[in-house]
Amino acid sequence: MRVACVLIPHFPIAVELLNRPELRRRPLVIGGALEQRKVVLDCSPEAEAQGVRPGMPLRQALALCPKATFLDANPTRYQDAFETVLHALEGISPLVEAADIGRAYVAVEGLEGLYWDEMALGEALVQAVRLAHGQDGLTGSLLPSAGLGEGKFAAWAAAVTSAPGEVCVVPAKREAAFLAPLDASLLPCSPNSLRRLGLFGLRTIGDVAALPLGAVQAQFGPEGRRLWELAHGLDREPLRHRRHQESVSERLAFPEPTVSIEALLVAGRQLLGRLFNRPALHHHAVRQMRLRAALTSGRSWERTITFREATADRDQVLYVLRCTLEAAGLPGPVEELEVTLSGLTGQTGKQAGLFAAKGRRRAQLEEALRQLKARFGQSPVYHVVEVEPWSRIPERRLALIDYDP
Amino acid sequence: MVAHPRTPAGPHRLRPLREPRPIAVEADGEGRPVAVTLAGRRLRVLQVQDTWRIDDEWWRERPVSRLYFEVALEDGRVVTVYRDLARKLNGRWLIQGP
Repeated sequence: MRVACVLIPHFPIAVELLNRPELRRRPLVIGGALEQRKVVLDCSPEAEAQGVRPGMPLRQALALCPKATFLDANPTRYQDAFETVLHALEGISPLVEAADIGRAYVAVEGLEGLYWDEMALGEALVQAVRLAHGQDGLTGSLLPSAGLGEGKFAAWAAAVTSAPGEVCVVPAKREAAFLAPLDASLLPCSPNSLRRLGLFGLRTIGDVAALPLGAVQAQFGPEGRRLWELAHGLDREPLRHRRHQESVSERLAFPEPTVSIEALLVAGRQLLGRLFNRPALHHHAVRQMRLRAALTSGRSWERTITFREATADRDQVLYVLRCTLEAAGLPGPVEELEVTLSGLTGQTGKQAGLFAAKGRRRAQLEEALRQLKARFGQSPVYHVVEVEPWSRIPERRLALIDYDP
Repeated sequence: MVAHPRTPAGPHRLRPLREPRPIAVEADGEGRPVAVTLAGRRLRVLQVQDTWRIDDEWWRERPVSRLYFEVALEDGRVVTVYRDLARKLNGRWLIQGP
């Protein structure tokens, strides 16, 4: 299967540079303020050259690169930017896999007739991403590289060895030859296996491919088989194209940043009112709600709530929204609130279970008893319990006990 | 100082069912009931349907010794009455709760 890999390395850094181009070519670390005990989400190549790595504690990153600029992480913005990239790629091929942020695979089988050759197809993919973010030059930060090959690994290896804005095509049946000189660390293996590859003196992918399958498998187990196959350009991993989920979204900006839960709830009620009046939600129930808040600090806050069962009840959704906001403890004043409802389903009715109604009645009864107990101080309803069912004396056999739910 | 909850403690909340209560019974010379007074109304016994005796807990200070009669009354009701044969309560009639 011919696959294209579109790669934007250091995607969060690229998104930040899109908004703040003056930070270009400076060491940048994304993760948050130094006083926060967080880890590095991403770093620029300049910081990476000083030894900073994603996943490292921020304090360690500061020790390695004291001149770095530390930026707050804004995962919502990165995800939105990547969605734009994916949407642009879907304009070229309907099958797109979002592997991780900044890396997408595109199925290119069947597109041969639309482009002069695969190089032209790769260039079209790069151009689509650039135009999606309004970049028409070669200087934009969101400049992807693209690789085309048989299977995802070959395509990725082609993309990762290309400079930004460039396209590399691995001809069919030439995957093994293309991969052979590349560093063995490109193989997707565990750190321990990578270390052992080095101990065995296997520096390149070609070194791994030159070994018999049995020998690699004997040393590395099932992972060894996969490494050997990848080194030969055999990658049968299917493309998992993303599923489109219909959703509706509304947002509201506050005149002044607010931390008041009541103000947020008023906004939430307003947004839900608008959403449930949308034609898309008529005779539909929703399964999921996503809340997003833009904070004054430039950061964002996001929660996704999945309902236990699809609901078309606005009050129920509002109740969940209230509980979520009250429990969340927003990290700063909110400038804008956005509510997205997704998982739209036409099934608004509930399938009654054989015993569910009985259970519901019991719950109602228990609630009524709790109210009576709260009012009278003790439960006026009793259970009949067996005390000494074997007794020959009738009044010893059964007794009443308070029904105390 | 914690306010008294005014609710009985756990063990006191167990209420026996079918507790016997005293009743006025007229008996014949053989000790068999012939009339029962229920709610101030004297009702004749039409038939004694069953008779049995319970002697239990003889090892306790208050042993149980009862002579039961299941009787059909003239208003159609069937009730269970007994004569307490225990030493201190000898001769007292009681009706077993429904």
